Amino acid sequence: MRILLLLLVSLAAAAQNQAVPSATGTGFVGSNVCKTCHADVWMNFYKNPHFKSIASGKEPPDKTGCEGCHGPAQKHVAAGGGKQTIPRAFSLMQPKQALETCLGCHARDLSKANIQRSEHTQNDIACNTCHSIHHSATPKYLLAKKQSELCYTCHATVFAQFSMPSKHRVNEGVVQCTDCHNPHGSFEATWRMAQHPRMVERALNAESPCVKCHTDKRGPFVFEHPPVRVEGCEICHFPHGSTNAKLLRRPVVFTICLECHNGADSFGTRNNGVPIQSSRHNMLDPKFQKCTTCHVAIHGSYSDAFFLR
Amino acid sequence: MKTRFWIFFAAIGTLSAQQVVAPTPENIGSPRGDNHGDYNYTNTFEFGYRWSLVGGDEGQYRSTVNFHNGPRLLGSSLSIDSKDGHGHYFDQILLNTMGLGNDPYQFANLRVQKNQLYRYDMTWRLNDYYNPGLTVAGGLHFMDTVRRWQDHEVTLFPQSKYRLRAGYSRNVQDGPALTTLLEPDNNVALSTALPVFVNLRREWDEYRIGGDVDVSGFKFTVLRRWDFYKEDSPYRFLPGSSAAAIGLQDDLTSLQSFVKAAPVHGSDGGWLGNLMTNRKRWSVNARMSYLMGRNNFTMNEISSGFGRLGAAANRQILVQGDAERPVVTGDLNLSAQPSSRLTVVNNTSYNSQRISGPSSYTEILNGGDSGTTINFRYLGVRLVTNSTDANYRVKDWIGFYAGYHYTYRLVRTIEGFQLAGVPNSSDTALYENTNSLHSGTAGIRIRPMKNLTANIEAEIGRANNPLTPVSDRNYHAINGLIGYRVRKLQLSTSYKQLYNVNAPAGFSSYSSHSRNYSANASLALKNWWSLDASYMKLHLDTAGGIAFFAGGVRPTLQSGVSIYVSNIHAGNLGARFAITKRVDLYTGYTITKDTGDGRSTAAAGATDPTAALFAGVQTFPLTYQSPLARVSIRIYPKLRWNVGWQYYDYHQQFNIFGYYQNFHAQTGYTSVSWAF
Repeated sequence: MRILLLLLVSLAAAAQNQAVPSATGTGFVGSNVCKTCHADVWMNFYKNPHFKSIASGKEPPDKTGCEGCHGPAQKHVAAGGGKQTIPRAFSLMQPKQALETCLGCHARDLSKANIQRSEHTQNDIACNTCHSIHHSATPKYLLAKKQSELCYTCHATVFAQFSMPSKHRVNEGVVQCTDCHNPHGSFEATWRMAQHPRMVERALNAESPCVKCHTDKRGPFVFEHPPVRVEGCEICHFPHGSTNAKLLRRPVVFTICLECHNGADSFGTRNNGVPIQSSRHNMLDPKFQKCTTCHVAIHGSYSDAFFLR
Repeated sequence: MKTRFWIFFAAIGTLSAQQVVAPTPENIGSPRGDNHGDYNYTNTFEFGYRWSLVGGDEGQYRSTVNFHNGPRLLGSSLSIDSKDGHGHYFDQILLNTMGLGNDPYQFANLRVQKNQLYRYDMTWRLNDYYNPGLTVAGGLHFMDTVRRWQDHEVTLFPQSKYRLRAGYSRNVQDGPALTTLLEPDNNVALSTALPVFVNLRREWDEYRIGGDVDVSGFKFTVLRRWDFYKEDSPYRFLPGSSAAAIGLQDDLTSLQSFVKAAPVHGSDGGWLGNLMTNRKRWSVNARMSYLMGRNNFTMNEISSGFGRLGAAANRQILVQGDAERPVVTGDLNLSAQPSSRLTVVNNTSYNSQRISGPSSYTEILNGGDSGTTINFRYLGVRLVTNSTDANYRVKDWIGFYAGYHYTYRLVRTIEGFQLAGVPNSSDTALYENTNSLHSGTAGIRIRPMKNLTANIEAEIGRANNPLTPVSDRNYHAINGLIGYRVRKLQLSTSYKQLYNVNAPAGFSSYSSHSRNYSANASLALKNWWSLDASYMKLHLDTAGGIAFFAGGVRPTLQSGVSIYVSNIHAGNLGARFAITKRVDLYTGYTITKDTGDGRSTAAAGATDPTAALFAGVQTFPLTYQSPLARVSIRIYPKLRWNVGWQYYDYHQQFNIFGYYQNFHAQTGYTSVSWAF
């Protein structure tokens, strides 16, 4: 315990005792000059997460305050204002420039490790497309709008899915897009052959994000239902929303089962077809039309190869 | 004026997703807050009463909407900020809540931080989940459970080069449910699944600790985690559990007693290491993680009653064992930016999970011990992916990107068993399935004028041996989005299609076509009204070969094509009016309408029982719509009175479950919003 305390104190000292950097850049005027004209921005800026760099008083001029993001303002001041004289006016910058400016500080965040190859970056969705530094609707992540509304702006069909009768409660506010997705880009999904969608975040760095909440489906089970592990939950479910109960891809369960369990060709783990149903299952008997009435442990079982328990 | 504009502009955004009438989004009090000492305070609290009046299938209402009568804290927000960034104990507190007290969907989010020293984030959520289980088991898999999540994360020295992290997460699900058990018959296929009560109790706890070190532009992260899973749901006898009670009139199966305990205790441990650097022309991210999972389980199930022919029967089943799942992942991400216009990224990912375990199964049926079978199963999935993506901006207004991705997957299974005490009774079989996927992507983005953007991308993929008949084999996707955005007007339209054909041979051919369209408009030409409208169409048609047994007297093997057609038209309309300086009115309407394939009857004229069975589930037309209206009146600068109404109507056209789930519900609320 003493060693842990000593370590904490040492780290705290190291963290607090960083040398005050000297002003190495040229043309920096300091945030106090900016606020004479931009009082409306400055008045609430102490609530902004970026105010930390000003409060610190230890950052070099190119990493603090207004000029930390917008660049040295001497020419802008000399010209009496104007966007064109701001070295980094985000509304005039190309998306890639805006991205690189923000990554100057934020690149070290683990969640942004894949931002250069993310579909958002490829489609020119840069930081300031979603984040509003000075007029944010959410003080925590400086989002331009509430998260779901922000995503719906481009992903309108997803909004339609979350408005269906069976859905994850995103519109109701209890689930968020970022519970499953990383808008800054994710590593390859390791299920579904790393195919689309690519911005789904792995749970615990290794698993489908569904099991973060649906812990009972996580296993490990002795008798795994292979497509659940290999293809992911999407093989049977629509993850956003569905007109069918339980987010299923079909209105009744037996068609989902039969479309795989047809015994055909080289499918399945044995390469000789996914096993066909037993000849005792008469599909005209209502008892056999609701497969999971008996195969209750369809996501995986500890006791039965046919998921009966 | 500028601030007012931005506040109003933010309010426009709320229209685009406004679907639940409460909490009220209108702001109250000064957006700049009030100063007290060295801190600034901003707060809003909305307390009110929600009501509902439901007609029709209440189970479907609870599964779809689930708002009930009662008072609740509909929403709140509180922010406290130190004005100089040098608060004594903290520099910022942010608290947001939603639905606390009575809503089925509750949320609380807290951040407390002191610059340079610490940051604490907490999220707490509750989802009161109801599911009638109609589709899967004719209502027998009823669930009325509540799920609660909480996440805590503490970061020490968050702005330092040395950071320490600790976290805790918890996920609990509990509540009453029904499940089914195959009960007693010496022929499992002829046993009847009878409902039994279960009171779900599932807990998952995770503890994390880790840290970051920045040295010479390299950042090294290490994270250690432990998580524990526990499920000990008690199962109980449901009085009246009989085949007759669930509609099987010629089956005499019934339960007279039933006891089941099936506890599962799991423990996982894992670590993650990450090394990254980001330079002007290149960056590297290398990550490795290891995650070990282990579940120990046992089950003791004792039942007695009568079999399908009316004979007394009893059965005991004993199961025990454990399952393991080590998962190893590795990722290497290399980025190069040889010029300011070009970015090339190569990513290699490796993932290996090996799930294995023994399970012993003992069954004693009507006093006869069937012996113990020790099963062993192994499922290993190894996956290697390499992808290269290039992103090139030709001019400021046009850019291209393209990528090539390759994935190799090996699925290895081992199936073995041994009869305890029986010599030479063991058997083991090993199978391997490999699949390679080559896929390519290409896209173009154009910005012909300042506020107009167009993006088009395409992907094509070829897999040589997918695992299932419905997996992606030969697929292509096309995606397009055009948007025009200025402050007062936002227009966008999109198209996306995904075609997949998985047809190696004969009757098993499978094809899936989805085409999604959307068009959206947000308009706020005057600062006293705004309008938001969107239309989406989601089309899906699939055709898959199936084989099954069916027949009037003796079932015979039959084959055919399972078809599913869905044509969903979804619309959203919202309008906000500032009637006077004090009164805000919002009206909205949301509709989801699946027209199916246009047929007027479920079976579409099929007379053969088998054909009628499958024809009847080829499409599922329904309408789900919800108009709403809300008035918010500012009584004082820091006090508002709100009232709202929302109507839900669910109407399915066909009776494919044997009964309709249709419902309609009048819901509403009245509340007071205030700021201190």
